[in-house]
Amino acid sequence: MRLKTTRFGEVEVGDDQVITLTQPIIGFQEYRRFVLMDGPPESGLKWLQSTDSPELAFLLVDPCQVVPDYTVDLGRHELSELAVSSVSELEVYTLLVVPRDPSKVRTKLKAPVLINVQHRLGKQTVLERSDYPIQFYLAQSNPGTEEPKEAANARSDS
Amino acid sequence: MLVLTRKENESIMIGNDIEVKVLDLRDNQVKLGIVAPREVAVHRREVYLAIQAESAEAAAAPEADSISKLLHR
Repeated sequence: MRLKTTRFGEVEVGDDQVITLTQPIIGFQEYRRFVLMDGPPESGLKWLQSTDSPELAFLLVDPCQVVPDYTVDLGRHELSELAVSSVSELEVYTLLVVPRDPSKVRTKLKAPVLINVQHRLGKQTVLERSDYPIQFYLAQSNPGTEEPKEAANARSDS
Repeated sequence: MLVLTRKENESIMIGNDIEVKVLDLRDNQVKLGIVAPREVAVHRREVYLAIQAESAEAAAAPEADSISKLLHR
C-alpha cells in the first residue's frame, strides 16, 4: 500500500510490514498500526510510523546503545501476548525524545516498545518492577565532555 | 465517583472479569491485588501520566538538526 507520511513523503509499504500493537503507545490509544522504518543513516535509530496518521511517528533507539546491560523481564502472559517464548525473540526499543536542546535528549527506559518482527506484533509495556527511569538523559551516560570545555574556553577568552 | 468501603481481604468486581482486592492495610498504605484480563493494562497512575507526557513529547517532530547533533556527540 501507499503510505502517506509527513516526514518521508509517500512510501510503499507491504501489508506484511504493518505491525499491530496489542497495547498502544501510552497516550496514543487510538493508533494501533505502525511500520518500522530506518532512522537517519548509520544512527541505529528507527522510526515507528503510524499507518493511520501521516504525522505520527516516534523515533526509537535500541536501549542497549544507551545502557549496555539494559534488560527486560516479561511475564509469560506478556510473552504469549506477543507470540514468543522468550524476550530474546523480540526487538526491544525505547522512545527517544529529541527537544531542541541536545542536552535534554532522553529516552523512556521504563516503557520499552517490544516488537515481534516475524509475527508483526508489538506493544509498549511498563517495567513496573525495574528501577529504569521514565526520563533517561543521554547526556548523563557520557558526562562532562562538552560543557566543561566550553566553560574553560570562555574563561581563557575573557 | 462511586465510593465503596472494603475491609482487608474483601474485593470489588469491575465488570465481569476485573477484581480488585484489598490485601493489606498498614502504615497509611493499602496493598491492592488486581486480577484482570491480560489485555487490560494496569499502571500506577502517576507513572502512567508521566509516560503519557513523554509519549506526547516523543511524538513532537524532532528537529532534523537536533537529531544530527545527537548522533555526532
